[in-house]
Amino acid sequence: MPKMKQLWSNRWVRLGVAALVVLILVLAPWNLDPATNQALARVGVFAVAVLGLNVIMGYTGQVSLGQIFFLGLGAYVTAYGVNEDWNIALVFLLAVVIPGIAGYVVALAAARLGGLAIAMVTIALPIIGVPLAKRLSDVTGGSQGTSARFTSAPDWFGADLDDIWQYYIVLAIAAAVFVLVHNLVRGKFGRALAIVKENEAVASSMGISPYRYKVMAFTIAAMIGGVSGFLYMVVVQYTSPETLAFHHSINLLASMVIGGAGSIAGSLLGGAYYVLVPNVTNEIDPTLTALIQGVILLVVLFVLPGGIASLPRVIRRLFQKKDGGGDRTAGRPTTATGTLKTH
Amino acid sequence: MGTFIQLVVDGLAMGSIYGAIALAIVLVNQSTGMINFAQGGMAVLSAYFAYALLGMGLPLILAILVAVAISFVLGALIERLLMRRFESGDPDTAVVVTIGLLTLITGIAGMVWSYNNLQFPSLFPPDSFSVLGAAVSWRSLGTFLTIAAIMVLLQLMFQKTKVGLALRAVADNPKSSAFSGLPVGRLLMIGWGLAAALGAVAGALVAPRLSLTPGMLDGALVYALAAVILGGASSPIGVVFAAWLIGVLENLAAVYVPFIGHDLKIAVPFVLLFVVLLVRPQGLYGRKTVVRV
Repeated sequence: MPKMKQLWSNRWVRLGVAALVVLILVLAPWNLDPATNQALARVGVFAVAVLGLNVIMGYTGQVSLGQIFFLGLGAYVTAYGVNEDWNIALVFLLAVVIPGIAGYVVALAAARLGGLAIAMVTIALPIIGVPLAKRLSDVTGGSQGTSARFTSAPDWFGADLDDIWQYYIVLAIAAAVFVLVHNLVRGKFGRALAIVKENEAVASSMGISPYRYKVMAFTIAAMIGGVSGFLYMVVVQYTSPETLAFHHSINLLASMVIGGAGSIAGSLLGGAYYVLVPNVTNEIDPTLTALIQGVILLVVLFVLPGGIASLPRVIRRLFQKKDGGGDRTAGRPTTATGTLKTH
Repeated sequence: MGTFIQLVVDGLAMGSIYGAIALAIVLVNQSTGMINFAQGGMAVLSAYFAYALLGMGLPLILAILVAVAISFVLGALIERLLMRRFESGDPDTAVVVTIGLLTLITGIAGMVWSYNNLQFPSLFPPDSFSVLGAAVSWRSLGTFLTIAAIMVLLQLMFQKTKVGLALRAVADNPKSSAFSGLPVGRLLMIGWGLAAALGAVAGALVAPRLSLTPGMLDGALVYALAAVILGGASSPIGVVFAAWLIGVLENLAAVYVPFIGHDLKIAVPFVLLFVVLLVRPQGLYGRKTVVRV
């Protein structure tokens, strides 16, 4: 193990591994069938959505049940913009900014109450969002929903390669968002979020306003939700009020916890869980889907509160115990919303 | 005027349902500091129990009473077997656990009784009588009076009995209650059981109106949470009044404000909430809590 660690600390080795991963991700769709490529692209879409949820919940410790609303809002903005023939860059910008503004307004009120009030207020977003989307049928297409096709592959790429083209769009945007968030949570801002999560009184005594940081984190989460909404339209090309239904929001939260809260890799795993596990459970028996997902979530909370992303750490700790001693501080205990709080 | 009275009575009836669930949430929140997002789901499951007992040939009133008793036991068991482990930890994790519980309960109800709408008979006659030219349905009045009576009983239990005193002590300070020799664990189980039983009554009363589906009370849960915030989680009476206010206001808004209508009336409590949060962050009746560092 120590040798591995040494190797890993070499900058060139790390760059090499990163390059290899990128190469595999770029080449993979050419060797897979369209259905698999579509599934992978959907994983990318929901990985971004889970990442957004992680910013507010995993890193800032505020339970949000409304993330799916921002995905839906981003999707609707994208669909509307595309159907009005706006420039696609402008559409993307609006699909990020409009959910961001909505998130900012909601957070201004919700973050006023401490503790669980954000969870209790944000639960309203999908519940109000669905009838609202049905009502505003001039813009949203009502219950039938609205479709927008703007991601057919251009001729130079190969007209029948839509799935690979969409995969590349998702890969590029998702990778950019992941890198941005990775840098964000490791910088000064991320440390501020961590201390707000850990202890609000300490945060304020250090001159970090918990209220302001919660509002900022929520706004960022909403903007990332908007990005995932745009990506959703890239892949699915259709949205309806069902997109932002309440049970999707619950599944998103479950995916985040199961993947690993407060973890970049966990967001990716969460996206995979969100897309792939319902496929498997539907295969078994569609009426059992909710039951199985509930059981999985509760089992993960009981035995692996840090989510799948904490698995390597847990295994390493088990081995170290067997060896007798070793570096005991290596594995930090985790809770479902990230690292352990100490009060 | 006739429509107005009718709307107010119907609003009070629905408000009572929200109030019962909100009160159940407060009951749990006061003793353990967590918000049980599965409270509505548990109430739906109780309504399904009553439905099953009805199918076995029990009379309606008996079926509901037995379902309430089962819910009490189930609530206590959920506290002991599932929630106990997360009570002392991070409240955010506990919330995620209750959300997992909600998914699980919805899944169980969907598996056993399917996701289709089931018809559930009402305790009260379907016809209405007229007061001041308004047709007031027995169903609405009965729902309101039943829940109001249960709330009075609960209040009496909390104020006048030994168990009530012990429950209040645990809610106030679990550690020093344990030092004074109170069986804190068992009292928490009773608290969860009472909350589940209260939810069961609400579920059985509202099932005829909404027709029974696993997601029947998702909307009511949202109203109940709004009532909890509006009333201030530290004030049971405030929560119930907030629930009635919400029930009446949303009914009036649905009819008298054309843009809102029946589909968007769920936005009413949250607009109200927004305004209250910006003006009075501790809720209408709640106290400002001071946290010792």
